[in-house]
Amino acid sequence: MGSATESAPRQPATAPRRQFGDGAVQHRSRWWNFGSRFARNPLAVVSLFIVLGMVFTGTFAPWLAPYDPTEVNYTEVEQMPNLRHPLGTDDHGRDQLSRVIWGARTAIIVAPSATVVGLVLGLFFGSLAGYFGGWIDNVVMRVTDVLFAFPGLLFAILVASTIQPRVEAWLMTFESLGSFVKAGYAEFLVVILALSLVGWAGLARLIRGQILQLKEEQFVEAARAIGARSSRIILRHLLPNALAPIIVSISMGLGGAILAETTLSFLGIGINPPTPSWGAMIYQNFNFWRHPAAPVLLWIPGLIVASLVFAFNFIGDGLHEALNPHLD
Amino acid sequence: MIRHLLRRLLWLPVLLLIVTMITYALGFYGPGDPVKIVMGQRYDPETADRVRHELGLDRPFFIQYGDYVWGLLHGDLGKSIKYRRPVIDLIKSRLWVSFQLNAAALVLGVFAGIPLGVLAAIRHHTWVDYVIVTGTVAGISFPTFVVAPILLWFLAARFRILPPGGWDGLLSTKAVMPIIVLTMGIVAVFVRQTRANMLEVVGQDYVRTARSKGLAERAVVIVHALRNALIPLLTIFGLMVGGLVGGTFIVETIFGIPGIGRLGVQSFFARDYPVIMALTTLIAVAYALANLFVDLGYSIIDPRIRYG
Amino acid sequence: MTRNQWLVTIGAVIVVSLLAVACVAVLALGMLADRGASTPASGPAAEPTAQVTTEVREEAEPPSSQEESPPAQQQESSPTEPPASSESAESQERREGGTLTLVGADPATLDPHLVTDFDSATYIVEIFSGLVSLDPDLQIVPDLAKDWDIDESGTVYTFHLREEAQFHDGKPVTAQHFKWSFERALDPATGSTVSSLYLNDIVGAMDKLEGEADEVTGVQVIDDHTLQITIDAPKAYFLAKLTYPTGFVLDQENVESGGDTWTDQPNGAGAYRLREYRLGEEIVLERNPFYYGEPKPALQRVRFLLAGGSAMIMYESGDIDATPVGLADIERVLDPTDPLNDELTVVAPTLSTFYVGLDNDIPPFDDPKIRQALNYAIDKDVLANVVLRQTIVPAEGVLPPKMPGYNPELDVYDFDIERAKELIAASSYGSVEDLPDITLTTSGGGAEPGIVATAVLGMLDQNLGLEVSVELVESAIFFSEVGEGSYQMFVLGWSADYPDPQDFLDIMFHTASSNNHINYSNPEVDGLLEEARVEQDHEQRMALYQEVERIIIEDAPWIPLFHSAEYWLTKPYVKGMIYPPAVVPRLKYVWLAQ
Repeated sequence: MGSATESAPRQPATAPRRQFGDGAVQHRSRWWNFGSRFARNPLAVVSLFIVLGMVFTGTFAPWLAPYDPTEVNYTEVEQMPNLRHPLGTDDHGRDQLSRVIWGARTAIIVAPSATVVGLVLGLFFGSLAGYFGGWIDNVVMRVTDVLFAFPGLLFAILVASTIQPRVEAWLMTFESLGSFVKAGYAEFLVVILALSLVGWAGLARLIRGQILQLKEEQFVEAARAIGARSSRIILRHLLPNALAPIIVSISMGLGGAILAETTLSFLGIGINPPTPSWGAMIYQNFNFWRHPAAPVLLWIPGLIVASLVFAFNFIGDGLHEALNPHLD
Repeated sequence: MIRHLLRRLLWLPVLLLIVTMITYALGFYGPGDPVKIVMGQRYDPETADRVRHELGLDRPFFIQYGDYVWGLLHGDLGKSIKYRRPVIDLIKSRLWVSFQLNAAALVLGVFAGIPLGVLAAIRHHTWVDYVIVTGTVAGISFPTFVVAPILLWFLAARFRILPPGGWDGLLSTKAVMPIIVLTMGIVAVFVRQTRANMLEVVGQDYVRTARSKGLAERAVVIVHALRNALIPLLTIFGLMVGGLVGGTFIVETIFGIPGIGRLGVQSFFARDYPVIMALTTLIAVAYALANLFVDLGYSIIDPRIRYG
Repeated sequence: MTRNQWLVTIGAVIVVSLLAVACVAVLALGMLADRGASTPASGPAAEPTAQVTTEVREEAEPPSSQEESPPAQQQESSPTEPPASSESAESQERREGGTLTLVGADPATLDPHLVTDFDSATYIVEIFSGLVSLDPDLQIVPDLAKDWDIDESGTVYTFHLREEAQFHDGKPVTAQHFKWSFERALDPATGSTVSSLYLNDIVGAMDKLEGEADEVTGVQVIDDHTLQITIDAPKAYFLAKLTYPTGFVLDQENVESGGDTWTDQPNGAGAYRLREYRLGEEIVLERNPFYYGEPKPALQRVRFLLAGGSAMIMYESGDIDATPVGLADIERVLDPTDPLNDELTVVAPTLSTFYVGLDNDIPPFDDPKIRQALNYAIDKDVLANVVLRQTIVPAEGVLPPKMPGYNPELDVYDFDIERAKELIAASSYGSVEDLPDITLTTSGGGAEPGIVATAVLGMLDQNLGLEVSVELVESAIFFSEVGEGSYQMFVLGWSADYPDPQDFLDIMFHTASSNNHINYSNPEVDGLLEEARVEQDHEQRMALYQEVERIIIEDAPWIPLFHSAEYWLTKPYVKGMIYPPAVVPRLKYVWLAQ
């Protein structure tokens, strides 16, 4: 939805950045302050627990899942939830709960990685453009223009499907990575690359906007006056002060990445079976939408995706309020 | 101002050139061969080569791309490989369908979203605000393919109030569910943005001044705050108008609507690159034009804005 | 209340309402389970998204896009016994007029010379026609040619055309039209991908196709109503190939004046003419009053709704007159207490076979014992009855039941885990653990390897402890790569275009065939296939093919899985509706009793 990025340039200046020259004490109090503000927002806290729970589930999937997620059992097909199968079974008799648990692993690997790669690209180009201006700014802005002009989903699909065989072939050239590719991790890489390539532009613009605002501030002028190098000014002074909106947009971006990954899987691009993924589960059961078992087969993976995205968005909102004290 | 607009206009063709070239390259170097796809299991290499030659698909990248651009300049979008007919034929009717659907959703979204956003801002920190905010977060968090089957289950399967899909024009019951699904996301964006802008504007000096002058609260809100809060919404509106052409890939696929989005997904799976190219180009043009108009709109509404 | 309290309240409300939704759902499920399948609302199956069916079909027919309108894709290929209604039809008078409404899919093309997919062919065989045609029992019958002579060499066919035959615009159909049409189909500029497959037996066809000749010398006009076609060898299946639309007649003026989009106003000679085609919305066919053949078309119009939507729901609400039954609806419709059960037609399997291809050159499938073992390890009964819910017929051999030469007594692999294990132990690999890595490739239009591939993988794992990894590729890429013979193991289907075993055995198993995706090569089989090509005696020919099939089954280059079949619902007032096992003209048999 990118709503975070759209509102970004208008992000009110954050209070902490006026405290130029502050020491460690001030610094701690700022985060302390932030923590208590965030904790005052129970929905955001609940969301945080949802996210942590999902991370835990994904990390320990092999130990948590009661069954092998790919094991078929044709004597127990399409069962309603029962004691043996708390979320029932699908049309091959596979345990839905185990598949959901393993799906979490896919989500928690892909979404954060894609966001981090996008973040690095966005930070780098955004701060370069904002700080130096001129032709660098021009080039970066035009590139983001081009990326924005693409229909997002179609572009991600095209990129993913074009680079997939190449990435796999390239990884296969390394002897040791053959099993890595076979295990389906190359697909992760493909999706991560495709999503971050599509996603970094918004972040770059946000950061550029922040930097443009900040670089007129006195403390930056001061740093420049004492002869600080550009990289130091960007890393030590500008970025830390632009952190608030960046953190908010990362949180929202994580939700967006999960959505995007699920959508790609739903369309059958990128992450493929046997790697369990929520999007694939939804796709697999989609033609049962009218079936009495639809709520179990179809809604459960769907609602789990939704709740995770929901959680990230709420955390984003919570962070936004916590980091912008004057909103109270 | 003029100079800025001129620069934007000059940038437009360059943008299109880059966008089309990237799309073309992705198609050209991507896996899957449209001729083989058309032939399926009845594939034999000689026939494939002959057909490829007839369709000009065996020429080097830049020749083919140049040819494509040349055709584009003459208003020729090429010929679909799958359907063997001009792409423009395929797009025309579908474009109209997608446009109607999205325009309806956008209008509903704006008319529901802005008042709700204002309401949430006025009732800041009350239950009204929280309910609206929670609802909008849900609106942007629920993917189409989660909402659609749930709606379908209730409305089309359990209670059979609405038909499950198809297209009979905008004013038929078949359009209701897709519009609901599409509107959800749009409403959410407008509510969030309106609310945020309102909150910010309300905190600013001139609103305080207006208030202190003793104007009624409603007048303050409507006359001063709302007007200023709406300006930034223009950007979003612009982006969305651009998106109108883009159609909605998943919604159209799920509900079986003969629009641009469904065509895009189908064409992707058939590797029908002329169609994909045409769609991408179209969407890029729409996006760029919409942004241009938004810029223009800004300078008219808000004379303070100047461009370097 | 403070802000905190509000937030807590809202959080609680959300949690509670989510729980409530879950409870309602579970309750509803419980109730539904009790009431069983007879509840109409529990109606399963979503046509708009019945990917499972679509996907299976796609494996047979790549060109159909993997979108969500399987109804259409199922349509043509739907097999059948003549519906129950046909008996009562005799007692009732055939009534003219009325509109039949069906669901369909956008045709990729309406140009008979270009068509490669089922969807398009369904419309094309109604609008256009050729020298010969197939009847609903898949017998070759005269069409625009009223009869023909074959000289004693078996290579010169003289067709006598019907003098009364006209195009839709009233123009008579002549031998010149045929000659022009064959040459157009073989013109490289037409870009047909199938003319080399169906017309290559005609003398001079390949020269024309390769641009070395302007004329197809094998096609000669004797007079306005006599056409002579010479083929390069006495091939018994030549007439069968001519039933494919590539051999249909077109009106030269119509094609040349229409340019790229001549198919918007096609002037064919078939029983129905195209009245209207609104892309993505509707195709309307209209009775051709000048139709030369028998029976004369009775329906005034036939509408195909293209926009998608659940065909099952549309059928139940009376919007369409016939629908295929999707996987998710089967249980309900098969229930004898369900009113829909009376309207059900159980259709015979199509001329298709789905199989697991095993590349005979790639280890471990270079050892026939391994291939045989895998054949023993797949439980086709479970596949048919549990996985695919009786919507298919398990395949024993290669040829589908409706195919001439089908051998019901073939000695096949019955499910036998012990036998499979013995074979593996006796193979050059010795045990399952010592087998090299196996990867099964399957085409998917979506994110699942397809119901069939999943079942195959699951069964091999369960029955033999054999872990096969799966690679899912889009159908677009799949068909590019499978043709190169680069897959070790894959799931695919083949659907015959004409009812002759040559279209199965020769095309899939001859060493030199481009459709031999499995690198199968057996000189004995090649010899028998070549012999069968020119064998003139029908019985003898079928015997040769049965011998070929027997050897192939023994060599086990495939794991035959099933022949697709379907269930259709037809409204009781629709009479004479047929669901043949291949694409044949069928609308002319249909009429409405009200």
